[in-house]
Amino acid sequence: MDSKITRREALGAAASGLALTRCGLVSGSQSTPRVSIVRASYAQGLYDTVRRLLVEHRVDVRGKRVVLKPNLVEFDPGTTINTHPMLVHAALEAFRGLGAADVRIAEGPGHRRVTLDLADAAGYFETIPHFEDLFTDLNTDDVSQVLLRDPFSRLTSMYFPNTALAADLVVSIPKMKTHHWVGATLSMKNFFGLAPGSVYGWPKNVLHWAGIDECIADFHSAFPRHFAIVDGVVGMEGNGPIQGNPKPVGVLVAGRDMTAVDATCCRIMKINPSGIRYLRLAAGPNHLDEENIRQIGEHIKSVQTPFELIPQFHTIRL
Amino acid sequence: MWVGVEDAFSLGANARIGAVGRISELGMCAGEVCPAASRLAPPTRHHPPKLMDIATIIGLQNRDGGWSYRKAGSSWTEPTVFALLAQLCGQSDAQSVERGFTWLRAAQRPDGGWPPSPSITQSTWFTAMVALLPRDALGGSHHASAIGWLMGQTGQETDSFASRMRSELLGTSNPRVGWPFFPGAAAWVTPTAMSILALEKARRHLNSNGIQKRIEVGRQFLVDRLCKDGGWNYGRSNVLGVDAPSYPETTGQALLALDEVELPRLRNALDAAQEQARSCQSSEGLSWLQLGLQAHGIVAASPARRLASRRLVDSALWILAQSALRGHNVFLE
Repeated sequence: MDSKITRREALGAAASGLALTRCGLVSGSQSTPRVSIVRASYAQGLYDTVRRLLVEHRVDVRGKRVVLKPNLVEFDPGTTINTHPMLVHAALEAFRGLGAADVRIAEGPGHRRVTLDLADAAGYFETIPHFEDLFTDLNTDDVSQVLLRDPFSRLTSMYFPNTALAADLVVSIPKMKTHHWVGATLSMKNFFGLAPGSVYGWPKNVLHWAGIDECIADFHSAFPRHFAIVDGVVGMEGNGPIQGNPKPVGVLVAGRDMTAVDATCCRIMKINPSGIRYLRLAAGPNHLDEENIRQIGEHIKSVQTPFELIPQFHTIRL
Repeated sequence: MWVGVEDAFSLGANARIGAVGRISELGMCAGEVCPAASRLAPPTRHHPPKLMDIATIIGLQNRDGGWSYRKAGSSWTEPTVFALLAQLCGQSDAQSVERGFTWLRAAQRPDGGWPPSPSITQSTWFTAMVALLPRDALGGSHHASAIGWLMGQTGQETDSFASRMRSELLGTSNPRVGWPFFPGAAAWVTPTAMSILALEKARRHLNSNGIQKRIEVGRQFLVDRLCKDGGWNYGRSNVLGVDAPSYPETTGQALLALDEVELPRLRNALDAAQEQARSCQSSEGLSWLQLGLQAHGIVAASPARRLASRRLVDSALWILAQSALRGHNVFLE
């Protein structure tokens, strides 16, 4: 992988900083991004862990509209591919507990049209009371056209779902997975689900032709009011994001700066974050350095779990 | 009025019996018919939503004449087409149908195609869905320009300079061309299947060699995209050397578009479709499988569990599938 930083990537770093200043939902000085790593399991204490994470990051959502964006991809009873429903429910309860006026769950899968059936098979209906009333299928939501300011991709505008556009905070809750096209899929790549299938299709192939990495960086800029909670309790290694193998790590990784959160996840997976092109585009090189991210909770080394990589990505091994 | 899931399954079973009789009379094979016991699967902890009947679908029509994907949403092309197709299968409300067609005609773009919704300034694959509607009801000129738009679309992978140069050098003047969801992107199974079905209908009115040729290469595109397990997914049978599994909905759509094709490889596809029907986890997937298998004279097996029908499109598709089992397949007529 070429790790040279282009002028464009340096501009990306500046844009990332600008995006941070536009997000007014977290109080306090945030010059150095803070990322939490906490041990977690689906069996015990997950609800309390998530609540403490949000308190730790001083997320102020009183009276605000929050959209939780899990990663729903395929029919998968083993919850290796999709975000675990209990984590999404824990986030729902935590944001409600912090006084959010409205908390919705929303997703627009990239390959399958049958979103609610996917959610059903993944256990969302059983785990989350009144799930269907709380859920918006972003693939079939009403949309608005948004001009992309100084885009990295060749797209100049995108249609986005009104539910996501109206949110005061979009919370990315992805699975910690390897990805056969971009190396790793974490909180930033999870925003691909914000592109409506009813406009762009299944798959949302327009984004591939426009550049996957570039579009990920564009989406990151288009939704600057965000927070990330990465489901690394059980991740996926190898030929992700669908055909890989389960990889237990036993952590949640969270923070308001998605580039810093994803860079930290990469280090936990023993992947060089600078080898992930979309991270370089969105953050620039220095922003990804370990010394420029304030880690809270567990040390990276104490939870580091090398994820198997397909041969195309062996060069990004940390 | 809502139809209970058990009622709907009973309707399905009755229709299947009818279909088996009809198909047997034609000397074609009949697949499995679900035993009554499997129709009464134990209830799950949350109750699968009920199917909408046609009266309910009509009642969901927006004031502007179109239908939305969800309650209180704005009108979109796809649910409007499905609501109209469902009405063509039986009970219909003439006023509702005319309002629906009026909305569609107004939504057509100057290039002849249809956008997903009027708020989107781009014609897309939904044009093929509109062109499945009866030409006379849509209007001859509207239909003709839709077909013209479809004939001008191709996957970016075959539209590129490199692809055209390769075809030229190899002397392959007949590339296996499919249709994209969105102009400028690659071709995939769903838009290709729907475009083939629309062109097949148009061919009856327009005696065009170009249309016939495009149908043939489109069908070859579908055959090329068969997955190793016998069915189709969105259109990638192998990703980085690893075989990818097929999906029920796309398998049903491809079989529907290949209704006049007899190939040894299709036998595996029909077997795969039957297997998918047994383990299907979505109402939409099952309906497409029923439609696709019916096109080949086979009645789809029933799934092992009750399936929820959560959206208007699910219910409309179910109505279309049941109609096909009674011998009236709107995609092929």
